[in-house]
Amino acid sequence: MKRRTFLQLSGMTAAGTVLSGCQSGNEKLIPYLVPPDEGVTPGKADYYASSCRFCPAGCGILVRVSEGRAKKIEGNPAHPVNRGKLCAMGQAVLQELYHPDRVPQPLKRSGPRGSGAFTRISWEESLELLAGQLRALQREKATDRLALVTPQLNGTLVELTTRFMRVFGSPHHLSFDLLGPDWLRTATRRSFGQPGLPWYDVAETRYLLSFGADFVEHHLSPVQYGYAFGRMRQGRDTVRGHFTYVGGRMSLTGASADRWMPARPGSEGALALGMARLILAESLSDAGSLAVNGLQTEKLLRRLEAYDLPRVAEQTGLPQRIIAEVAREFATTRPALAMAGETVAFQSNGPDAVRAVQMLNLLVGNLNRPGGVYPDGGSRVGPENSFTELLSLVAAMRDGRFRVAMIHGDPVHAIPPATGFQEALARVPFIVSFSSLMDDTALQADLILPDHAALESWGDVIPLAGTRDRVIGLMQPVVTPLFDTRQFPDVLMAMADKLGGKTAAFPYQSYQEMLKGTMEKRVGRAARRDFETVWVELLRQGGLFETRQGQEKGYRRAPGSSLPNPAEPRFAGDEKRFPLHLLVYPSIAFYDGRGAPLPWLQQLPDPMTTVVWDSWVEINPRTAAEMGIGFGDLVEVTSPQGAMRLPAVIYPGIRPDMVAIPLGQGHRGMGRYARGRGSNPLVLLALITDGTETRPAWHATRVRLTRISEKGELVTAGHPQGSYRSELIEI
Amino acid sequence: MEKMTSPYKWGMVIDLDRCTGCGACVVACQAENNVGLCDKKEIAEGRDMHWLRIERFWVGEYPDVRVRFLPVLCQHCHDAPCEPVCPVYASYHNPDGLNGQVYNRCVGTRYCGNNCPYAVRVFNFYPHDWPKPLDNQLSPDITVRSRGVMEKCTFCVQRIRRAKEEAKGEGRMVRDGEVQPACAQTCPAEAIVFGNMADPQSRVARLSRSPRRFRLLEHLGTHPSVYYLKGGGREHV
Repeated sequence: MKRRTFLQLSGMTAAGTVLSGCQSGNEKLIPYLVPPDEGVTPGKADYYASSCRFCPAGCGILVRVSEGRAKKIEGNPAHPVNRGKLCAMGQAVLQELYHPDRVPQPLKRSGPRGSGAFTRISWEESLELLAGQLRALQREKATDRLALVTPQLNGTLVELTTRFMRVFGSPHHLSFDLLGPDWLRTATRRSFGQPGLPWYDVAETRYLLSFGADFVEHHLSPVQYGYAFGRMRQGRDTVRGHFTYVGGRMSLTGASADRWMPARPGSEGALALGMARLILAESLSDAGSLAVNGLQTEKLLRRLEAYDLPRVAEQTGLPQRIIAEVAREFATTRPALAMAGETVAFQSNGPDAVRAVQMLNLLVGNLNRPGGVYPDGGSRVGPENSFTELLSLVAAMRDGRFRVAMIHGDPVHAIPPATGFQEALARVPFIVSFSSLMDDTALQADLILPDHAALESWGDVIPLAGTRDRVIGLMQPVVTPLFDTRQFPDVLMAMADKLGGKTAAFPYQSYQEMLKGTMEKRVGRAARRDFETVWVELLRQGGLFETRQGQEKGYRRAPGSSLPNPAEPRFAGDEKRFPLHLLVYPSIAFYDGRGAPLPWLQQLPDPMTTVVWDSWVEINPRTAAEMGIGFGDLVEVTSPQGAMRLPAVIYPGIRPDMVAIPLGQGHRGMGRYARGRGSNPLVLLALITDGTETRPAWHATRVRLTRISEKGELVTAGHPQGSYRSELIEI
Repeated sequence: MEKMTSPYKWGMVIDLDRCTGCGACVVACQAENNVGLCDKKEIAEGRDMHWLRIERFWVGEYPDVRVRFLPVLCQHCHDAPCEPVCPVYASYHNPDGLNGQVYNRCVGTRYCGNNCPYAVRVFNFYPHDWPKPLDNQLSPDITVRSRGVMEKCTFCVQRIRRAKEEAKGEGRMVRDGEVQPACAQTCPAEAIVFGNMADPQSRVARLSRSPRRFRLLEHLGTHPSVYYLKGGGREHV
């Protein structure tokens, strides 16, 4: 355009604007070739309430949608779990929706297994393919040769999967999460006779004692506890809550503590009982609480005789003075609160150690009190499968008992290979994956039926131990699906339809309707009359939030429950050949690995090490110096189970006899951002048996290190020690 | 001529006793402001694009060791060292006390980054693209910066603008807490508080008078708008 023409045109436009005067000219200025169907106003964003199901905490979210595209995820201020706050992972769920490597439509394997060669097929064809397999099982009266593997589900989805498997005639539904808190449920049942998970009133407490419970990162409900932690610290006028952390590695949570007690791995239970003994011996315990729970000081003292201070100090490797000081502080500050976490639970003596910590709460009388522990408000409806059930499924798979396996999630990556799951799965003739990204499990599958992304799905999410109230979060699609994908429950329903004769079992047309039906049952009779309005209101606010009306059952010691007595810890691996303890911990960005495909999380510097786009092994400076390992060197970590090479991070906050590796990296698939980054430390984990049950030895495996070269290719976002001198900026 | 003063002086208080270093603010900032995705190679070269970073310090030696976290973002200095050195006035001070950056004025001399004592200005060394359909996540409220310009934290100026326009339409001042940058909005521990320092009753102004307060590199005389509150209580190291 010539300058002259431009000036003429702009002059005309200016005149036009003046002439149109008071009328709103805006609608005329931005014409649409195709008018928007949903009343989209350009430049104006809408917010849709939904729920995050990235981790089991189930926070409420608001999704900002502009011109039909999701732009930003924010916390839902009305949601009782997270109160408008959100963690890094919750923010990044947006990138799951728009991931460039999503599976766009059903895929059928066309090359050898694991080669990644697939051809695109239509939904009709793919559903018929699966139905054919299932029909064959029905014909041969071998319906129990179908296995369903999912993460721990809750809400309506459980109802659906349970009904599907029952109607089909297979009892083999494994719902298993590596990070699921079954251990806490079991311990709580044994201590208090209740299966509910505990809800800790961190905000109101004055002394917090955490035994390896990383509540800021991943323990139960991190956003909820992060919020509570802020309030415990500076939310009250005159009180600043004190925080002591016990654990061999200073985690991100431990970094916020006022005092760090690096107890020897496996000795945490003994430490708790040592503190209990001191509290009882010095009569610092709460007499009322002991009486209510049917305990007598003298009897208890006699039972705890073995846990005298010198012995506990020797077991834990901590000075006697400090143990006694913390025990006295804990008993004399009211309210005080003790929490037990994963690093304690996944020892060989884990179950008893967790119960020992729970007993500390009982001794100082903070059960069912402000600043103490309450049972949570969550209702557990789904099957909860333990590691034992996983092992029996693997054994059955290995024997060739299964013909078809339907898998949701990525167990090939998230289950320790020591269980033999990966090899056993290879013996299943027909594997169906519902992954929306080409993850490690999907790579092994014969058929991929891609699920919607979370932001395209319907669903209900029952938050895990995040409140004392009953909360059911709702998920609704905030955008129209990007690809030709279908929601997992809808596929199950379509399958039931195809198999025929059983359609009566599913009186709904779609999962959305089924969800609406269950919500109608949940809201109660009064609200049901005009349910359509109620339903819209529920979707608008993000779920059903009920405050409890005082009918709750508090914690009370289970009658006849024995005193915890943690055994000597045992470790996989001989002390001479494998001199170092290994700790495998969930990374703050990747959880159990599901965060790895999201680039925002990959480039989020790890808060403790500032490492980006990689995994690493943490070594105490003294140990590293002895072995001649420098920052960023490549080292080989060998356990009795396996070996892997990783760059080294010199980490001042870890015991010299310990090394630690974060979970979540080392995917073979999962798209361009995750593929081939770092390594998966689960290959190092051996299994341990404590006589009654076998568990993964997350924290009870021994390893040795060998320096390989100085080329670790480690990239950190900051200087290893921080780019300022801390005294310069006065902190 | 409109007077060049404003009833607003935007400021921030970061309570280090609450901050757990979890990184939620870092991702929230990237999501809100279309900050580029940097691969491993770029970060290895020191060409990371985060507008907000969490500095981490190790203090002491095992077993008496402590970690301190310090979220660092543009300090919006009142006497900003970045402003006088910009040859094209891309770095400027606005009446609300924000240290602004005009992206389409910037010619990429990087003098401002060189002069910033807090190292919070980031230069776009590479063209950052969002592979389809990842580009759908880009916010329509903020420009997508091209290669060759300096960019930085703006206290989420797009949110401030919107709040001010709404308030103006209703003939009132922006209420305390009505506008929050993405980092403050998401911070689980509520360590980050944002507001109008010119209003002595605002939460941020009250917190900034705390005896625990300090500002980064105060001896340089840059007069930042970001106040930090030291950790309190007894420490065992």
